[in-house]
Amino acid sequence: MRHVPDGTLRRLIDEPFAVADRDARHVEGCGRCRARSQRIAEDVATVELFFDVRVPADTDAGLARSRASLIEKPSRQTTWRVRPRRSWRFMGASLSTGASLAAVGVVIVGVAAAATLTTVFAPTQVARVPVSQADVQEITQLMGLNTTTSFDGFRSPSGSEMLPFGMLSWTSSGGAGQVASLADAEAATGLAVTLPTTLPNGVSGVDRYAVMPKVTATIAFGAGAGSRLSGSSLVVSLGPAVAVSYSGATTIDDIGPLAILTVAQPIVTSTGATTNQIENFLLSQPGVPADVAAEIRLLGNLQTTLPIPTPPGASSESTEIDGSPAVVVVDNSNVASGAIWEDHKGVVHAVAGLLDKEDVLSVAQQIG
Amino acid sequence: MGTVLTLSPKARGGALPASTGFEEFFRTEYPLLVRIAYGIVRDPHLAEDVAQDVLIAAQQRFPEPLGSDHAQAWVKVATTHASLNVIRSTRRRRVRLERAPQATPATGPEELAILNEEGREVRIALARMPRHAATVLVLRHSGLSYAEIAEAMEVNIGQVGTMLRRAEARFRKEVDHATRS
Repeated sequence: MRHVPDGTLRRLIDEPFAVADRDARHVEGCGRCRARSQRIAEDVATVELFFDVRVPADTDAGLARSRASLIEKPSRQTTWRVRPRRSWRFMGASLSTGASLAAVGVVIVGVAAAATLTTVFAPTQVARVPVSQADVQEITQLMGLNTTTSFDGFRSPSGSEMLPFGMLSWTSSGGAGQVASLADAEAATGLAVTLPTTLPNGVSGVDRYAVMPKVTATIAFGAGAGSRLSGSSLVVSLGPAVAVSYSGATTIDDIGPLAILTVAQPIVTSTGATTNQIENFLLSQPGVPADVAAEIRLLGNLQTTLPIPTPPGASSESTEIDGSPAVVVVDNSNVASGAIWEDHKGVVHAVAGLLDKEDVLSVAQQIG
Repeated sequence: MGTVLTLSPKARGGALPASTGFEEFFRTEYPLLVRIAYGIVRDPHLAEDVAQDVLIAAQQRFPEPLGSDHAQAWVKVATTHASLNVIRSTRRRRVRLERAPQATPATGPEELAILNEEGREVRIALARMPRHAATVLVLRHSGLSYAEIAEAMEVNIGQVGTMLRRAEARFRKEVDHATRS
């Protein structure tokens, strides 16, 4: 006999007419399901006690207070201003797929740095933020970056690139490269890398270990950034990182069945400019899509949260890995999945491959 | 003091015309958004701030929101997330919430004390829950139907009952934990 699932029992309490007759009849005649339904009803009653609240909302006053910030003709060219408010704020950010991520990343990192003033951006958890490909293209054009700059590193160990409002330069101790063993990778980076002991079906073993040295990137704001920002700079520290790729039966193009990335917490410092100046400048750029800017305000807290790209067409959800917030992304054909989280020691982990969500989470849970 | 970024007109006084489509949307959604926010932050003034900021952001995202299911769904989820951000943020902010009067002025001292304690427990419990679980729980207990929750959270309606059941069980467990602590 098929018992009625918990979700259906739950809905039976709220919307009984939406539940199939056969399920409702089953519950009536099944002692086990009735007992489960009773337990669920008790939980519902408990929760309702806490949410049985009344709060007066003065719509006229709320509208009056908001009028100064509402606009007559919304457009994507809207400027932004900073409104003094209580001692709290919304922050967040946005990313997407492909090489254009670099451009979006610069905006995010800049806002993140601004969020922490002249101190440190050191996120301790992750959160998902969706953006469209159009958003990414707009920001790419804004930043004036070419598409050969990739987000997970730079195309050469050191170099520089002109931005419309300053100069992006980066240095590192060398390029990314392959090493012979996990011990070599750990020695080269100083990272402690945990790998899964039980591999999903279709994944045979480690194919190669790669390391990326720490990269320090500096965005020096020039005259194009205006008099307030000119002369200020953001210093972004990325890596070091260890990438472990696995071989197996399934490979599409160059994508293997499983890859595990371990990377040090990104850290950003800013000098010269204040929080409001940098944040205001970046968000006021006409190329920043309004909806992305809105997400930046509403999702996550950049002081503690690392925004994760959720590509268009993919589904994403928030979960937890060993108590840390994690983001799981599954592509729309359910062929590839990935999970990313930051552990309690400040190390960011990413697990991705041609696996379903359960397999990716299984690997992630082993890493912790 | 922190700041909140808001949109403003480019080179004008900032006055909204006497009546616009967005104003109607604001009037329709505002009371429910305040209730959603209050269910989480348990501070009526803070709840109104959250609702206002979300609606200001919504105007930029949905210039013509009337009749848009997506706009209606977005503001509810954005309010939930923004409110969760408030209770999950810095210690200083949490301290402020602990001190804040969390009821209307007409509330008596005994009832206020109970509400303050209850608000503390709710905030602790919600802050410890996964975001999607806290979201489905708050939206349902703010009066949204399963169909509205499915639309807002972009999930299949068949998943809502399961998500809600798990969220309520977790909430009860977290509240028990918060009560003991």
